Amino acid sequence: MKNTTSAVKANKTVMVLLILGLSTIIFPLYMTIIIAFKQPSEMTNSISGLLSLPKTWSLNNFREAMEVTDFWRSLRNSLLISVSTVVLSIMVHSLMGYTLGRNKKSKFYNFVYLFIVSGMFVPFAILMMPLAKQTAELGLANWFGVVLLYVVFYMPMNVMLYSGYLVNIPLALEEAARVDGASTWRTYWKIIFPIMKPMHATVAVITALAVWNDVMTPLVIMAGSSQNTLPLAQLNFQSQFGTNYNLAFASYLLSLIPILVFYLICQKQILNGVVNGAVK
Amino acid sequence: MKRKGIRCLKLTLCCAAAALAVQGCGASSDDGKIEIEIVQYKPEAANYFKVVEEEFNATHDNIHLTISSPNDAMTILKTRFIREDYPDIIGIGGDINYSYFVDAEILSDVSGYEGMQYINQGYLDIAEALELVPTDGTYIIPYVANAAGVLYNRDMFEEHGWQIPTTWDELQALCGEIQAEGILPLYFGFKDTWTCLAPWNAMAVELSPSDTTKQVNRGQTNFTTEYRELSEKYLQLLQYGPEGPFAYSYNDACTAFARGESAMYMIGSYATPQILSVNPDLNIDSFVMPASDSADDRTLNSGIDLGFCVMADCENKEAAYEVLNFLYADENLQKYINDQNAVPCKTGDFELSPMLDGMLAFIESGNMTDYQDHYYPSEMSVDALLQTYLIEQDTDKFLSNFDANWQRYNRDIIRMVQDYEAANGGS
Amino acid sequence: MKIFSSKNDRQRTFLLITIPILALFVCFNTIPLIRGVIYSFTNFRGFGKYDWVGFRNYIDLFSDARVGKSYLFTIKLAVVSTIVVNIISLILALGLNSKIRAKGFFRGAYFLPNILGSLVVGYIFNYFFTYILPALADMAGLKGMSTSILSSPSKAWIGIMIVCAWQAIAMNTIIYISGLQTVPEDVYEAGGLDGATGWKQFKLLTFPLIIPFFSINMVLSVKNFLMVFDQIMALTKGGPAQSTESISYLIYNNGMSGGQFGFQSANAVVFFIVIVAISVAQMKFSGSKEEQL
Repeated sequence: MKNTTSAVKANKTVMVLLILGLSTIIFPLYMTIIIAFKQPSEMTNSISGLLSLPKTWSLNNFREAMEVTDFWRSLRNSLLISVSTVVLSIMVHSLMGYTLGRNKKSKFYNFVYLFIVSGMFVPFAILMMPLAKQTAELGLANWFGVVLLYVVFYMPMNVMLYSGYLVNIPLALEEAARVDGASTWRTYWKIIFPIMKPMHATVAVITALAVWNDVMTPLVIMAGSSQNTLPLAQLNFQSQFGTNYNLAFASYLLSLIPILVFYLICQKQILNGVVNGAVK
Repeated sequence: MKRKGIRCLKLTLCCAAAALAVQGCGASSDDGKIEIEIVQYKPEAANYFKVVEEEFNATHDNIHLTISSPNDAMTILKTRFIREDYPDIIGIGGDINYSYFVDAEILSDVSGYEGMQYINQGYLDIAEALELVPTDGTYIIPYVANAAGVLYNRDMFEEHGWQIPTTWDELQALCGEIQAEGILPLYFGFKDTWTCLAPWNAMAVELSPSDTTKQVNRGQTNFTTEYRELSEKYLQLLQYGPEGPFAYSYNDACTAFARGESAMYMIGSYATPQILSVNPDLNIDSFVMPASDSADDRTLNSGIDLGFCVMADCENKEAAYEVLNFLYADENLQKYINDQNAVPCKTGDFELSPMLDGMLAFIESGNMTDYQDHYYPSEMSVDALLQTYLIEQDTDKFLSNFDANWQRYNRDIIRMVQDYEAANGGS
Repeated sequence: MKIFSSKNDRQRTFLLITIPILALFVCFNTIPLIRGVIYSFTNFRGFGKYDWVGFRNYIDLFSDARVGKSYLFTIKLAVVSTIVVNIISLILALGLNSKIRAKGFFRGAYFLPNILGSLVVGYIFNYFFTYILPALADMAGLKGMSTSILSSPSKAWIGIMIVCAWQAIAMNTIIYISGLQTVPEDVYEAGGLDGATGWKQFKLLTFPLIIPFFSINMVLSVKNFLMVFDQIMALTKGGPAQSTESISYLIYNNGMSGGQFGFQSANAVVFFIVIVAISVAQMKFSGSKEEQL
């Protein structure tokens, strides 16, 4: 009895804290939205002027931003790259994470693990020039080359996440299947892969987000291919001598929607892990 | 349930593969035309070049022109150079990158181009001076220039009856007068380090020789001597600007000037589009920065803002020249000038923006000197050194730092210059 | 007999998985890295011809005050940000994982900072530090806050730290949440019976179970903050007075945009070794902690 009241109290405190913390997010979001609706001539340096609502709520900025960025085409390229990267990452990285996580006692696999994880620390700037050259030599100076590079770039982090997650999955599950005569390969896809669903969702979110906002890799690899991703197209709004913040913010709001939706879907999957854990 | 998940993955992969195939088809277009590709580095002029591209293609059957105006064009160009995927023509500014490109021998000599005779000699000299060591031939065809000095609020000046200053003392007197009326004379956006270079360049053209950096490279002088007066005068300007100028960005400064918060703004003509976007009705004019005691010593700070270089790798120079003819046609150049408030590098009757009224006499008489910073290697970050100086206000430290850094960042160039001098008996 | 062959089969499968993936990794990570290391012995500008300069770049590196300063700044930023971010995101993860109303909404909202592009974040925080914070400080009667903290060489790093933390918290929280999912409910039930609640429950039950995620987060945070670049570009571009030049900023800005590719490659090589050393030490440390428990 006493327990439940204190729990309710704790939840209320948590609520209040969460709402307070939320203000640090609502405020920037509010500014982004009103700036996206304003005209350049409404921009001032005074606080009241900047925090005031736009004179009219017209969607013109959004329309123009879509035109400037060639929205649908750029969106298609961004989606293509992000979806392919996420799908490949989940399949390849989970396999690798599984292999390395299940062979922690082997010197060879331990070395491979450290070798791959250390790849995370290579500064991109040093790889940039050699990669630009190498992808061109291999005929990969296109979106597919970018996807391959992403799969390599995010491999260290994702492998680390997967093999960390695997620690909590008991070996007994596999051994039962093995006694039934299933091969390791089959066991993996039939038993382990589905169990790692919450981790798949986590990896998907982290990878998708990094890919969705990345400018550098497509800029360097696809330079001159006349194919734009959304972040590349958004570069058009800013230059040293002038930035159209209103159009840029409108465009950022637009490109925020797909990834936000994706996150909301994935975080349900992260939640589903609770059920799995309980069953186990 | 689990099967379904895997099938979904497979399906997605197939879709991705199919999309790859579709894209592969679109890339090939064999209609026997010569392809000419231009990459130019001014994204703010993208719309203009889009129109030029369309008009050119509509009127030419034999050549197909593509112009791209990417943001961060220098990164794109450099990565394309490393994979030896050269465009045919590049549009770049007359700065240290141009010097490096000439040195790397990736540009072709365009002195044979017939349009060269119409280019203002002053800008060809500027281009020549940018070569690290004298090199035979011409490698850039200057297109437009920009000019830096002082932008001022014309209406505000007329209302108060303020006169355009022609000497350093007059400028200080004017600033004092403006301040006395409770108006801020100058605005600075020093949070963006590059803006620290604008007043510096504008004063440097009058206060130190135009080939200062080259003299230093030859070991004839040092910056502590050449830049002392300049540095000291720069500090004095700070008192006429806003308090804590390092908090404000370029964008803040443009907005503040556009809103009439200051009477003047020391920046180049390139800032006017941003200012006008905030306040389209602002009546802006400009004048040449007076930095010494003699009005006759004034010279306009002007450099090549955009010029075109044909790459050494370009297979069809004739076609490239035909494209250039179109770009340099008077009516197209005029359109660019209207669009960007630029100064043409071509001789002829062009109508300039009223915002350049105060500089017109200098432009017409050819009294122009290139930006000092076009000779500074970008990795030395002179803009950041200047910002540090303006914060710390220690002239001796700044100048000795400048000299020390110069030697460090230009070691290979200095050695090259001195080898050249030794081989050519010096001058 | 059957078990023996299936064990062999298992090892073969593992090998067949490892080899192609490792090959891909070597091809697009190790080989370009080796090429980069080769450039670090030249005065390559990034294009055109170049000369071999031996160890000159490495010798220069250790006598370059600017590089030294960037290391100090970056390490200071990384240490403080890692601590701040991990404390806040662990608390946030616990909060978002508890039984509260509108959980989905909160989880979505707290994720937002991560998706806002750096132009937006840069603009809004610049505005916040330049105009709003001084005004608030004014109203509160605080002196010494009258100008933007981003314009002060001694305080600008705090501004960058705040923005870094603000953006990074979402990601670390997600990893902590997914870690909390692996903690079975019955552990809490058992703990609840023993009267373990609040801090005690966290310290004795929850935290030991999510230690693998804690160490992943520590390694990722340290690595991400050591390689900080976007926030610098968006907020200060290395200023004021070169006080916020991070190592990655120098490597990119002077190596790619500038003409110091060879020298900055040497910087990148040294930097790589430094981060690997730090991370290995970290993993060793948390690995030993894990075994203790």
